Order: sequence, then structure tokens, then C-alpha cells
Amino acid sequence: MIRVGFLDNMQFRLALAVQVIGNMIYLVLMYFLWKAIFDSSPVDTINGMTFEDTMIYLVLASAILEFIEMWIVWGVGRDVQSGQIVVDLLRPVNYRTNMFFTCFGGTIVNLIATFIPTMIVVYFVAGRAYALSWNLLWFFISLILSILINYYINFFTATITFYTESVWGINVAREVVVGVLSGATIPLAFFPDAFRKVAEILPFQGICNSPLTLLLGDGMAPSEVISILGVQLFWVVALSVVSGLFFKVSVRRITVNGG
Amino acid sequence: MENSKRGVKFYSKIYFKIIAQDIKSKLSYRADFFLSMLGMILINVSGAVGFWLIFQRFPEINGWTYHEMIFLYGFCLVSATPAQCLFDNNWVLRYAVYSGDFIKYCFRPINVFFYYISETFDLKGIWQFLFGLIAVIYAWNKLQIPLDAVNVLLFIIQSLSASLFAVAILNASAASCFWIENSFFILSLSSKLRDFAKYPVSIFSKPLRIILTFVVPIAFLAYYPCQSLLRPDAIPVLTWLTPVFGALFFVLSYKFWMTGAKRFNGTGS
Repeated sequence: MIRVGFLDNMQFRLALAVQVIGNMIYLVLMYFLWKAIFDSSPVDTINGMTFEDTMIYLVLASAILEFIEMWIVWGVGRDVQSGQIVVDLLRPVNYRTNMFFTCFGGTIVNLIATFIPTMIVVYFVAGRAYALSWNLLWFFISLILSILINYYINFFTATITFYTESVWGINVAREVVVGVLSGATIPLAFFPDAFRKVAEILPFQGICNSPLTLLLGDGMAPSEVISILGVQLFWVVALSVVSGLFFKVSVRRITVNGG
Repeated sequence: MENSKRGVKFYSKIYFKIIAQDIKSKLSYRADFFLSMLGMILINVSGAVGFWLIFQRFPEINGWTYHEMIFLYGFCLVSATPAQCLFDNNWVLRYAVYSGDFIKYCFRPINVFFYYISETFDLKGIWQFLFGLIAVIYAWNKLQIPLDAVNVLLFIIQSLSASLFAVAILNASAASCFWIENSFFILSLSSKLRDFAKYPVSIFSKPLRIILTFVVPIAFLAYYPCQSLLRPDAIPVLTWLTPVFGALFFVLSYKFWMTGAKRFNGTGS
């Protein structure tokens, strides 16, 4: 099933090229924006982050959000509207597991095709942007957890479409919340303190902020690494249980028009 | 197209008939109506929250203050409304083209572009408009811009001109689907770029500024038109040219769209 997802995504090479060019333009614009912001600031470092740190953080954060996107909400929403979902539910494979692995294939393609090249480019462009040591290992472990967190948030949102039969609003709400609270739009370090403390408890920061903190923080104490990964793991488990229960309840009352 | 000579009266009559059907069908899905409203408001709020967060740590951006930025942002939302409400069907143009359903629009004795676009009225755009207007009024008040007839008239003319650019960008990027597959990425790229319209273009380097002014004219979505209200002492020439350029870009995007539509006819798929 991973292979199917893989092949599915490989078809769109032109799309990938457009995406890469588009991202580059986007990054250049982002560069100038933050440069202007930092140039207008009386100090060079804000909450421990210089302009270079901020750029590395934001580039990698948007790269993570990009490669992690699974389009599940749209997929499930479409299946609910068309009635296709009934066929999938009747299959002798678990619906959630099936969906996860299909999506996981696509995510792995994106990881190899877009994210890792981005990471390598960032490393050289920014002049040894991050250390090449244990932090890489923690980063990839954390990244897998963030894929899982993101998947469960997506799946939870997709389940809501069983009730609403509409996709746009609910999916956009998810995108906005994840975009802001994961730190992808503005690094969490720039948030006002009270706001940041709240954001740090929520699961969304586990998508971008946790892996990036582990990647960029050189020589972190083992206890810190464990606490960051621990919080992520807690949310993986919690979200898995919650979204699983929600799905079970929702499937019973699914209504399909003329399916 | 001998029928494209028909008058404005004829077209506006048809337009309201088609739109009324679309609004009726949309209002019958209550949940969708409210969730779309929620989504739209959340997008707009998150944009404002972004500024608020940045300005907690930084006093200004390149000489632009918090309230000026809120003004630009609100103006952007207002000027994006016509594109959002009236030209929203562009977002699904590629589906109609790939599936071949597009042929149905070619068989009617009215302008293809008109017929296709008139099919949808996007209700959620109204919330964007309201939010933008509130942001503009709030910033207008804080910046103490004199509230006289001239300024209000300027605001109306400039936001209408700016909206022509938003429509032109949307038309052109949607019409790319007549030539290439998977044109969604072009649409999503152009909407990503449009996100930068809320920042002053003066922060970008010169080559970028030229691109953002003449190639992908997002600088006209807020920056240039707003200068006439925010910086009345030093108004660039381009600010006064906004209406002219807007009309020009709109016509060009329309021609591009129609060329694509004719191409579709030709292949007869």
C-alpha cells in the first residue's frame, strides 16, 4: 500500500517542479519580509533568535508543513459526498490503517523528493545551518512523531465531515490553527510569553516546533530531548485514542445520500 | 461570436437569474454555510493575529506602523472580495476542462466567460469583506485620516481598481489549465503570492518590486492604492495609474482566458 501511494505521487513530476519554483519565490519574499522586520528592530537577537536562525526555522517549518500535507480531509469529504466511503468501510481491512499507509506512502515520497533536498540546500546556503551529530537522529525521530500527530489531527478533522458533509470551512480552520500554533508562520519564540506557554502545551507545536528545536538546538541536555519527544509521544497516543473513538461513534451515524 | 454584441441589460438580467439559483442552492446547506463563514473569519483573524504577534516584539516594519499595516491588510481583504465572491468558479475551472464538462458552456448563445463565471456566487466572501472593512475603519480611526468626501471617494475608487487586479490574477492563473495539466499548483502559488500583498512592497529588492508591480501585480492589491490615503504627501505615479492598469490587466486576463477557451473548442475533447 505504501508502494501504491508512492506511484500515485510520482505521476506528478511537472507539478513537483512548479511547486519547487513556487516555494523558492515564496521563500525569497519571506526572506525580505523578515529582513525588513529585523532591520527595523533596535536589537539583533530576539528571544535568542537571530535573523539567520529565524530564516532557517521558518524555511524548514514551511517545508515540513508542505511535505506533511496529506489531503485526507478533502479525500474523506469527497468519499462521504459521493458515497464511496461505504465501499471502503465494507472492505475487510481497517479503514483507518488502510488510509494511514496509503497516505504514508505519499508522505515518504515528499520527504525524499522535497524535504530532504530542502534540508541539504538550507544547510549549505545558510553556512552549516545546523550541527551534524546526534541532533539529526532526534530530529528524524521527532519528525516521525510529527507526521503521526499531523495524521491524527487530519483524521479527526476528516471525521467531522461525516456530520457536516462540507469540507472547505472545517479544513481551512484546521490549516489556520496548525499554521499559527505550530510556529510555521511566526516562530513560537516570538510569541508573547503567556501565549507561548499555552501554545507549548497544545499538540500543534509538535508538528514543527518540536523537531526544529531538536535540530537547531546544538548539544541539548538528554533530559531536554526526552521531554520534547515525550510530549510529542503523549500527543500521538492521546490523539490516536481520541480520533479513534470519535471515528467509531461517527461511523454509526453516517448518512450517505443515495449511496 | 455574434452574440457577444448583446447589451449590458441583457447580461445583467441573466446574471441575476443564474446567481439567484446558486445562492438558493447554497443556503439550503446550512452547516456548510456556517462552517464556511467560520473558516473565512478564522483565516482573516489569523492574518490580523500574525501582525499583532509580530508587533509585540518589533516596533515597526520598514517605517510602517502597526495601524498602517492593519489598514493595508483590511484594504487587501476588501479589494479581494469581488474576485472571491463573483469569480470563484475559476477555482474549479480545471475540473470542468479535464472532465470535458466545459463543452456545455460553449454551446450556449452567450459569452463563455460570462456564463461560466456567473454560475457561482461565493457567499463566504461577504465575511471577508466585512472583516476587511472593519479593519480599515479601525485603522482609519487610529491613524486619524480625515474622514471627508474626497478620501471616502478615493477609498472606493482605489479599492474597486485594486479588485480588478485580484480578478485578473485569478483569471489568468485559472486559465492556465487550458494549456497544462495539474494547474492547481499555479492557482495555489498565485494565492500564496497574494498573501504578500498585505506587506508594503518597499521591503523587497528592486527586481522583485518590478516583478510584483508589472508581472504578478500584487503590489496593486493594497500598497499602491493605499498610498493615496496613508502617505498623501508623497504619492507615487503608480498610485494614480492604479485604475488604468487595473482595467488593462483585467482585459488582458480576459483575453487570455478566452484564448484558452477557444483552444478547448478546437481540440473538441
